[in-house]
Amino acid sequence: MSTLAQTESGTPTTCAGPASTQDLGSSYGDCLQGECSRKPDQKLPELHGVGDPVMFSSNSSYLSSRGRMIKWFWDSAEEGYRTYHMDEYDEDKNPSGIINLGTSENKLCFDLLSRRLTQPDMQWVEPSLLQYPDWRGHLFLREEVAKFLSFYCKSPAPLKPENVVVLNGCASLFSALATVLCEAGEAFLIPTPYYGAITQHVHLYGNVRLAYVYLDSKVTGTDTRPFQLTVEKLEMALQEATSKGVKVKGLILINPQNPLGDVYAPGELQEYLVFAKRYWLHVVVDEVYMLSVFEKAVGYRSVLSLERLPDPQRTHVMWGASKDFGMSGLRFGTLYTENPDVATAVASLCRYHGLSGLVQYQMAQLLRDRDWINQVYLPENLARLKAAHTYVSEELRALGVPFLSGGAGFFIWVDLRKYLPEATFEEELLLWRRFLDKKVLLSFGKAFECKEPGWFRLVFSDKAHRLRLGMQRVRQVLEEKAQVAEDPPPCQTQEPSDQRR
Amino acid sequence: MSHQSGTFPAPCGQKACQVLKDRNICIQVLVMIQHLQRRVDEHLKQLPTTRQRLHLAKQKQAQSTHEQEALLDHLIRQMVNFLKSRATGGLEQQVSLLSLECRGNVRSAQRAQSSRQPGQLVLQWSDIEPAFVSHDLSNRGSEICVLYHSSFQDYNAYQGDKYQEDKNTLGFINLGTSENKLCIDLITERLGQSDMNCIEDVLLQYPDWRGQPFLREEVARFLTYYCKAPAQLDPENVVVLNGCCSVFSALAMVLCDPGEAFLVPTPFYGGFAFSSHLYAKVELLPVHLESKITEANTHPFQLTVDKLEHTLLQARFMDKKVRGLVLTNPQNPLGDVYSRESLKEYLEFAKRNDLHVIIDEIYMLSVFDESITFHSVLSMERLPDPNRTHVIWGTSKDFGISGFRFGALYTHSKEVASAVGSFGYLHSISGITQHKLCQLLRDREWIDTIYLPTNHFRLQKAHAYITNTLQSLRIPFLCRGSGLYIWINLKKYLNPCTFEEERLLHRRFLDNKLMLSCGKAYMCKEPGWFRLVFADRPLRLKLAILRFCEVLEEQKQDWKEKQLADAMKE
Repeated sequence: MSTLAQTESGTPTTCAGPASTQDLGSSYGDCLQGECSRKPDQKLPELHGVGDPVMFSSNSSYLSSRGRMIKWFWDSAEEGYRTYHMDEYDEDKNPSGIINLGTSENKLCFDLLSRRLTQPDMQWVEPSLLQYPDWRGHLFLREEVAKFLSFYCKSPAPLKPENVVVLNGCASLFSALATVLCEAGEAFLIPTPYYGAITQHVHLYGNVRLAYVYLDSKVTGTDTRPFQLTVEKLEMALQEATSKGVKVKGLILINPQNPLGDVYAPGELQEYLVFAKRYWLHVVVDEVYMLSVFEKAVGYRSVLSLERLPDPQRTHVMWGASKDFGMSGLRFGTLYTENPDVATAVASLCRYHGLSGLVQYQMAQLLRDRDWINQVYLPENLARLKAAHTYVSEELRALGVPFLSGGAGFFIWVDLRKYLPEATFEEELLLWRRFLDKKVLLSFGKAFECKEPGWFRLVFSDKAHRLRLGMQRVRQVLEEKAQVAEDPPPCQTQEPSDQRR
Repeated sequence: MSHQSGTFPAPCGQKACQVLKDRNICIQVLVMIQHLQRRVDEHLKQLPTTRQRLHLAKQKQAQSTHEQEALLDHLIRQMVNFLKSRATGGLEQQVSLLSLECRGNVRSAQRAQSSRQPGQLVLQWSDIEPAFVSHDLSNRGSEICVLYHSSFQDYNAYQGDKYQEDKNTLGFINLGTSENKLCIDLITERLGQSDMNCIEDVLLQYPDWRGQPFLREEVARFLTYYCKAPAQLDPENVVVLNGCCSVFSALAMVLCDPGEAFLVPTPFYGGFAFSSHLYAKVELLPVHLESKITEANTHPFQLTVDKLEHTLLQARFMDKKVRGLVLTNPQNPLGDVYSRESLKEYLEFAKRNDLHVIIDEIYMLSVFDESITFHSVLSMERLPDPNRTHVIWGTSKDFGISGFRFGALYTHSKEVASAVGSFGYLHSISGITQHKLCQLLRDREWIDTIYLPTNHFRLQKAHAYITNTLQSLRIPFLCRGSGLYIWINLKKYLNPCTFEEERLLHRRFLDNKLMLSCGKAYMCKEPGWFRLVFADRPLRLKLAILRFCEVLEEQKQDWKEKQLADAMKE
């Protein structure tokens, strides 16, 4: 049920054992640079290579062995991203360039944001903002975050500023939490498919690995929907990791889920938390899409809204401005934890993950402006998300392509298994490459550690003209593929029984 | 899965069990200590208040605190010994760290008590304890907490109680943190101009993690000009992160494996030790420099290749793998600027020994004495080993905007640049901030005709004010023309001249709401040196000097009394 994402590399010089190299490769594949995908033909060097200077020695004499490893993974990931950046679509300058439906960014509300961010209250400069700050984040911002989360997470009691730590993005937060909660080589449980960049976040400094809780698209047993997380699956994954001698310290949950676009029901959430408590596990809940639930019928509940948390001292919530406010370039992420030790420990690392005082001020102004958020930004953003989502799902339906989408997030989880001649990840990569050749960038399932080849994540939160062009190109590839495969491959029949929109 | 649940959560392996067991014992000991403290505090509170009894009580109090300290010391030592004999590495290290810290606190608490604040002892303990006994943190997490706490305790106190002209005249004046507060008016005015407030979609989206191309281009142009590089610097060799400590941390990660080391001449900026250890677990090996002028030392704390060779040899003897040399130029805390020749010698030494050189030039535009010429390593016609020479610069010091969080790496090695770049998303800068920085660095006219001349003039004036005062107090110091600080010698106020006395004097400054940095924090070999930051507004500087003189007067008085008492005894 579970596989370890990475090898233990806590020891100084030998970083990876032979057995784990394949896992290393697959888990590093995507998501390094603004979560883009690795070039498919990029292969890992031979096994013993990782960490062995001989294997990496070609003009690499200036780096340490861990430096070489870091660079190798980076370069291999950057490859795909570079392809995109060298040939980015631009309406006027490069209309035949690549359209990016791979990176999860909300590009729908730039007009609203730029108008708000250029208002006079945003241009405030004062000495304390220019000097060394309180490393937890300026108090005025932490106060504002506490108020904001109390309101939008519907917490039963007001949240406290002293439980808030502010950093330059959720990537830094994952890194810091991994470092202070786990020793090198220890692990977090994570249900797959998941936002694959987390692998890198917890590994780069923290040397922490992920133990996968594999979920299936097929609805069996007590499951009521595809890729359903159950306590039983958590138990099994935990057991398997332990039997391999890996110490699991926590569980990572992403809610709303990425890439499934789904939310956990409050009852389920409670069960996972109780499970974690039973095994003394920390729970890191990534709620970075909490305000991007565009389907009104979806009953999203933040973990902070629960009347009583099973283990409040071990429950840590993260949120940021990247997704819900469409400002991934602002680099704002925040931790809420009732555990003062964890808050202090993360804050101790904030010297290295600090955010400019001026931006902290702007962020506070933005979060404070409830009128603008409630009356202008949120309604408009959700309406635009819904429209874009409707357009893409109509297109997919017209193509006869099955997909999952739970009414939250910026993406649709698309089932292209019937377009693979063989159910392998090689074929998945080939299809992905085919899309890229046709100048549309998607993310393939392997990058999310999906167990079944053939799933793709398609981001729809882009401007209509780009989206239309992107979907045209997707259609082209799929129609072409369908023509080639006149005999339908056997895997075509297997489809998720519950197609949600 | 229920059959699993009985055994599962406990850490597997005997070692881990032992850790838990030892932790429990630690907790017990700590609880005991706390209990004792509480008793002492209660005792102190109940002390009679009438004047006649006060004298008696004072004696008792001194006695009881003395006993208390002895007892605590004893307990802690027992605890450490116990753990040394049984516990595993990580925990042991924490405890020994903690024990140092605790003892420090016990002593300072003693002083706090004698100034009649009985609550403080418990309070300080409770500050440390959670980081230590926390079951929720990993060992390294606890260690990070303890380390941070011990390094930044005073800084945090200052953050909570800053001096403010109108609101908090009794607050801390900070001449300890190296910040330039002299030109905030100019910077604020410049940052308020309309060109700073551009919002474009690229600024709000995921960036190039090495830094936005427009900023890297500007940094390359800026460094070419101000470092007087013989040829145009390449934007592809620039990596931009959120502060120089992040750059240093990432460099340590990619240049060294855990346990390997850098050479660093002491005294040096203590932040390096923190940055190299925290994530990267890289050691710093001090190249100890001395204040005494000898045949080899033509000026105090002179760095020579001999000393570098010597330390390197020692390191090899100890089987320590040295990967590089860390230099700060202009030097912090000395304020020295390396001559072109010495710089070349150091670089050649590094090349001979296959060492990287990380050279921190963060004060390069803060050379305010016109007679001094600063030579950036980037100005050299030919670097001995360009692919192993890595330059760090940022705007924190030269532009007095430490709150901006900007640091840049310039390296000729594409490999190092790209490896450091992979840390970009953990140390990234907001796009909005990148735009502002770019505008700032681009405005050569403002920098050259307004900012730099004014800044240098104000630095000169502040420097002159402090040096004149020091001269009149007959306090020796290094008179240099760069940086934001002066390295002063307070040896004559220490009796005996030990680091313990240095710490006490430092404490005394703090008790008088004045922050200075003591030499120990720079790993200076000789006790009695302090770094005094002078780049503050005249009003605060004046008040700071007042407090400074008061402390030294007290210190002198104490000394006299002690001498008198000793004489009486005899």
